[in-house]
Amino acid sequence: MAAAGIKLHPACRVRRERFGLLFYDSRGPRLLFAETGSLLAPDYFESVRSRQDLPEGLSAQQKKVLQNFITKLLERGFLREQ
Amino acid sequence: MSNKFVEQGLRSPVNLTWEVTLACNLRCRHCLSSSAEPAANELNTAEALALVEQLHQEGVFQINFGGGEPFMRPDFLQILDACHARGIMTCISTNGTLITPELVEQLSRTRLVAIQVSLDGAEKSTCEAIRGKGTFEDAIKALELLTLSPIPTSINTVLTKENADEIQAMQQLAEQLGVTLRISRFRPSGRGADNWEELRPSPSQLLAFSAWLAENNNVRTGDSFFSLTSQERQGLGLNLCGAAKLTCCVSPTGMVYPCAFLQSDRFEAGDLRQNSFKEIWDNSEIFESFRGLRIHSCEDCQRFDQCHGGCPAVAYHLKDDIQGGDPECLERCVTSIADDRKKSNAA
Repeated sequence: MAAAGIKLHPACRVRRERFGLLFYDSRGPRLLFAETGSLLAPDYFESVRSRQDLPEGLSAQQKKVLQNFITKLLERGFLREQ
Repeated sequence: MSNKFVEQGLRSPVNLTWEVTLACNLRCRHCLSSSAEPAANELNTAEALALVEQLHQEGVFQINFGGGEPFMRPDFLQILDACHARGIMTCISTNGTLITPELVEQLSRTRLVAIQVSLDGAEKSTCEAIRGKGTFEDAIKALELLTLSPIPTSINTVLTKENADEIQAMQQLAEQLGVTLRISRFRPSGRGADNWEELRPSPSQLLAFSAWLAENNNVRTGDSFFSLTSQERQGLGLNLCGAAKLTCCVSPTGMVYPCAFLQSDRFEAGDLRQNSFKEIWDNSEIFESFRGLRIHSCEDCQRFDQCHGGCPAVAYHLKDDIQGGDPECLERCVTSIADDRKKSNAA
């Protein structure tokens, strides 16, 4: 059985903004403003991937911040595990 | 508290209202756009499809289709398909009269559409007094058809003097039908301006509605009542006017405005036949003025952080002063009721 991966929830969308990423959940609707700068591109969330699968070239600190951020997105329903 | 990211300016709206046609088979007394016949020179199919592509390129998440009755437009399904093919989510406001099993089946093929059916009373007579004969049954039939499908469906009710006492019953009706209830604010634009005094909810009705909303968090209002809602409820959404910041409106002829309730020459941000959507969003002076709008006259109010002055469209239509603060905000309702009591006691 394949390991669970994460992906953007079908009711959600994400796009790049100057501050980082803007998430939209049509079920609310509600927004999430993420000051991620250029650490993550919106298409990161478009396909199923492991939670540990982060872009290359990040420092350990940046990886930790992003992993916490991904956990928060999961808790808030913007991402789902599948 | 305001949102610093919104104030810095987003690269495009999060969602927008697109009134695809002025054609409508009903003549509702509160209609915000006086819909009846199609407007001369409405965007043709090619122009509409080109706009969908522009909105996709700009990253608009959702288009809320209204009118008029969107399904009166012969190419409406083509426009919807173009949105869904690009992953744009859509929400359609309809009067329900043209909803058929075949149409529901066709719309069910995508998971990107939601539908709001207008219903303005839990009692047939209340609804028909606002929307016309036969509208209650047509809307119920449409809702029953839609509940057989996977399409997220809601009842959309405009709060008026005539239906304010039926809101609890509206919610019960929605629950019986298996749909959600969304309540919108009545604003004095279009035919709504002509019938404003007859239909506007009284301050005591607004106050009662505000209390009811606080107890019913599953009822949606969009941002319509952000000037009336409790602090707890505001956690569900933003607490400021999103016009020109998070949203805007495209008219049937391709004119762009800050919101659907400000579709007049004075608030024209641009013409999509002259400029691209991005040019209008980035460069319109009207949009800039809305992004910088501060309702200073409300800054000393204890509720300022909760509503930031309320709805500029209501302030404009009732006081011709977009900076004057919302004349029907919660504070003003309370003051108005207190003033009336004083007058009646004095008499």
